[in-house]
Amino acid sequence: MVVPLGYAIYTSLYTTRIIGGTVFSGASNYTQTLQSSLFWSGVIRVIIFGAIQIPVMLAIAFFFACVFDLGVAKFGRTFRTIFFIPFAVPAVVGAVMWSFLLEPQFGPFVHVANALGFSGTNYFAPSLLLPSIIVIVIWEWTGYNMTILYTALKSVPRDVVEAAILDDTPLWKIILRIKLPMVRPAVVMLIFLNTIGALQLFTEPQILEYFEQGAVSVNYTPAYYMWNTAIAADETNLAAAMAVILAVIIVVISSLSLIFRRRRGELSS
Amino acid sequence: MSVSVLPPSSVQPPAPAPVVETRRERRRRERLEEQDSVIPAELYGLRRGTVPLLTVLAFLFAIFTLVPIAWIAINSTKTQANIFESFGFWFTGPFEFFHNFSLLFQDVDGYGTYIQWFGNTALYAVLGGFGATALSAFAGYGFARFRFRGSKLLFALAIAALLVPVTALTLPLYLTYAKAHLINSIWGMVLPSMVSPIGLYLMRVYADLSVPRELVDAARIDGAGEARIFFRIALPLMLPGVLTVLLISIVAVWNNYFLPLLIFNINTKYPLTVGLGLWSDRAVNSGDANLYPMLVIGGLVTIVPLIALFLVLQRYWRGGLLLGSIAN
Repeated sequence: MVVPLGYAIYTSLYTTRIIGGTVFSGASNYTQTLQSSLFWSGVIRVIIFGAIQIPVMLAIAFFFACVFDLGVAKFGRTFRTIFFIPFAVPAVVGAVMWSFLLEPQFGPFVHVANALGFSGTNYFAPSLLLPSIIVIVIWEWTGYNMTILYTALKSVPRDVVEAAILDDTPLWKIILRIKLPMVRPAVVMLIFLNTIGALQLFTEPQILEYFEQGAVSVNYTPAYYMWNTAIAADETNLAAAMAVILAVIIVVISSLSLIFRRRRGELSS
Repeated sequence: MSVSVLPPSSVQPPAPAPVVETRRERRRRERLEEQDSVIPAELYGLRRGTVPLLTVLAFLFAIFTLVPIAWIAINSTKTQANIFESFGFWFTGPFEFFHNFSLLFQDVDGYGTYIQWFGNTALYAVLGGFGATALSAFAGYGFARFRFRGSKLLFALAIAALLVPVTALTLPLYLTYAKAHLINSIWGMVLPSMVSPIGLYLMRVYADLSVPRELVDAARIDGAGEARIFFRIALPLMLPGVLTVLLISIVAVWNNYFLPLLIFNINTKYPLTVGLGLWSDRAVNSGDANLYPMLVIGGLVTIVPLIALFLVLQRYWRGGLLLGSIAN
């Protein structure tokens, strides 16, 4: 059990040593990154992305979790299995499939848009690129989020709900006033996990760029910019500085949420 | 509601059920238990038509979920020209599935052989997944059942690692490998995959819940060694949790893209994700159009084993991968 910890510490030492190295070659990498409008525009883009994608996805996931938990739709078990399938699909394959579907010249979804009267739709155009990525990520993760919310809803004691029914409480009140507060910890955890995921957005834009060159700018997301800086531009020191800054941003967000949860007594360990 | 964590019923060892239970009997029992726990929908006083309406909505979302998978399955049977020119959601002759499939065993344009990537992915997933699960189970049990100096601090450190974002950690890892000449080494892929803070956390909570302290103490009084207690008593009790962690870990390695993308630069070491990424790039941007059908069938063959695994091991993720219960 010391191995993972030892390895984590070992890695962290190396990370520090790399930082030390870059610092000695001048703190310029950090100032350069922090002053770079390219870097920050990527950060702002993933924040916008998360601000839209996470609430939409969680709303869909919570809606269906409630429906299946209440048993007010038929074939709930089958639907839960189907919804979960994208979790088993690697993001790369998901992005490849969606790229084919959305591809501007031949993609079937372009034909759909044309048939609906939106001729000349290009899902990879700057105005539609972010919504397209949002749809892909919602496709990938809704089922997973729903499964967790469903399990959490299942643990709400039955007698509480029965008492509410006997009091003639309307269903929407049972859901929003009784069930939602009781699964709050799960919702908070999902917001936290999805936020970290959004800040690290990489695979989908990277694959989309292969399918439509020039559609995704080098700095589209911080992780993508970091990768381009390290590999395409071969500026590993600068990329290391970006990695550290990105890590710090994410750790700060994580710690805030952890402190928030611990203060509310929601974390047992 | 902090510590009142119970494992979801579906991952609990079947308690009162007969010991010898066929799969069909188990499924039947689980379905009945599930029906039992649901309040009949009529009691909610819903308007007529609500249930059909919600079923239709779920059906629409199911279609959204299945559209890309249906597309890739259908188009794996087509020629390159037909992938682009024929209607995407129905079959067109000639039926090229087996031809496309056979291409996965060849190195078509010198960019690498799919079957080799498949083997690499399986190797990384098995080594990384089993390694992560074994370490998590040992450590989780250790933290749950032993109190030693600094154990709290160590556990807090391990949990802190949960907060460090993988993507931001990968580049430093890559730079380290570049210095240590670990680029293109499979251990560069496997060792980081074996570290799973989330697995450790889940195993600790699960060990706490499923291995009674009295049982461990009784075994100690009877003179059993700690290793024997772990393997003969604790591990069987923890098995459902262990399998869930194994499932999570294997999927995590199977789907990993960023780390192998950075640390492998010869295509004989690639996992599937990186190989398919390379093919996407070459098909579109190097004009290697004959890679398109291979990309489609390659994507299909990549997802089929995992979907099959999830369908077989349903009861281990139906518990919300343990997470839902722990967050409560």
